[in-house]
Amino acid sequence: MFIRIEKGSSVPISRQIVSQVRAQCLAGTLEPGEKVPSVRELAVTLGVNPNTILRVYEKLTAEGYLQRRHGSGTFIADQLPMSQLASQTHHFEEELQQVIRHGQMLGLDQGTLQAMFNRLLKQTHNLPEGESEE
Amino acid sequence: MSGPIDISVQHLSKHFGRKQVLEDVTFEIQRGQTFALLGRNGAGKTTTLRMLMGLLKPDKSSPSGVSGSMSVLGFDPRKQAIKVRSHVGYLAEDQKMFGWMSVRQIVDFMAPFYPKWDKELANRYLQKFELSATTKVKHLSKGQGVRLGLLCALSHRPQVVILDDPALGLDPIMRKEFNRDLIVHLQSEGRTVFYSSHLLYEVEPIADEVAILDRGKIVIQQDTESLRRDVKKIIMDTKDFDTHTELLSKLDVYRGYGKTNTTITNAQQSIEKLRDSAVKFEVIDLNLDEIFEAYVIGRPDGQVHQTDEEPQMQEAM
Repeated sequence: MFIRIEKGSSVPISRQIVSQVRAQCLAGTLEPGEKVPSVRELAVTLGVNPNTILRVYEKLTAEGYLQRRHGSGTFIADQLPMSQLASQTHHFEEELQQVIRHGQMLGLDQGTLQAMFNRLLKQTHNLPEGESEE
Repeated sequence: MSGPIDISVQHLSKHFGRKQVLEDVTFEIQRGQTFALLGRNGAGKTTTLRMLMGLLKPDKSSPSGVSGSMSVLGFDPRKQAIKVRSHVGYLAEDQKMFGWMSVRQIVDFMAPFYPKWDKELANRYLQKFELSATTKVKHLSKGQGVRLGLLCALSHRPQVVILDDPALGLDPIMRKEFNRDLIVHLQSEGRTVFYSSHLLYEVEPIADEVAILDRGKIVIQQDTESLRRDVKKIIMDTKDFDTHTELLSKLDVYRGYGKTNTTITNAQQSIEKLRDSAVKFEVIDLNLDEIFEAYVIGRPDGQVHQTDEEPQMQEAM
């Protein structure tokens, strides 16, 4: 599990970790049933208070992303909470809208924005062994 | 999250000559918590820590006449300083050690001061901290020096550890290493840690709770996530600000270009009230450095940007 902490960010550290784990579940980078580091391991790797990691794991467990199996550790849930993931998608849509507004403020018209979006989509899409088009 | 209170400071004050260095400082630290005392240079951090170790005597009472008290693991540092020092791991700011001694000699020199010194543990720390026993203390790097200090502070298995700006003078990589040491050797073992720092972004990942000390007074004490939830910046038109000013608990007010930026506490409540009154405003999340600044140098009575009188500037932007 790869988590990146941005120090001095206006986003609290626990929220940074939570949203990265959610995003990686959504993207399939973290697969159902996969084992995640123990609280202490992740605390040491990230240099973050174990209490913070514990709260993050508790939150993600309550949301259904993680499963804590007694004695054997913490895992990505077998059944990911799809409705939760849908709200993530919704959140992403809002962010994208913000970006579009930003573009409009810079005076980019619809055609330019569209072209830019398509170009970036293509670029990003071609990087990992090209999933199915369409 | 309730356990015994390992450190308690009540209405503590201290003056040097005419200068009031600490005024009515009060806080408590629960067992197993990591508590960071933040403040600018000269805010009174070291004075507070030294008083807890019984190295400085506090004033009998605060300027307003309230009598102060302290307790560390149930001991009173004013009367039982030796007890406190033998039960607490302490790392002084810029700890001086005899440069001509070797690491081994320092460790052997420290041991007899502590009834519970664990020789085996000291040796294990030597290995873990990658310190060579034969190196002369004067040849240690800054980071190695801090690690040696930490070794001395930890080898008697203290329940409480007090560290005075341990990250001072460490480079970014050593600071990260130090934070890891803190997690592995202190937090994971349930110790109570009280440390001071002026580097907020280094403290945030580690501390359960922070207190900001400014000019001798604690201005806020909270866990970092609640602090971030409570303190926000609100941007609104100055005319709206003027009519709704009583809804905001202000830490800092900055006017300019027809807008007013207000850093507020109790943000959730204020934002709800503003929404109810249908004013247009924007909420900005702040990082800990900005929150610290607002508490320490914020001006609730407002600062005015020079060009406030020229509203045409707004169009020019």
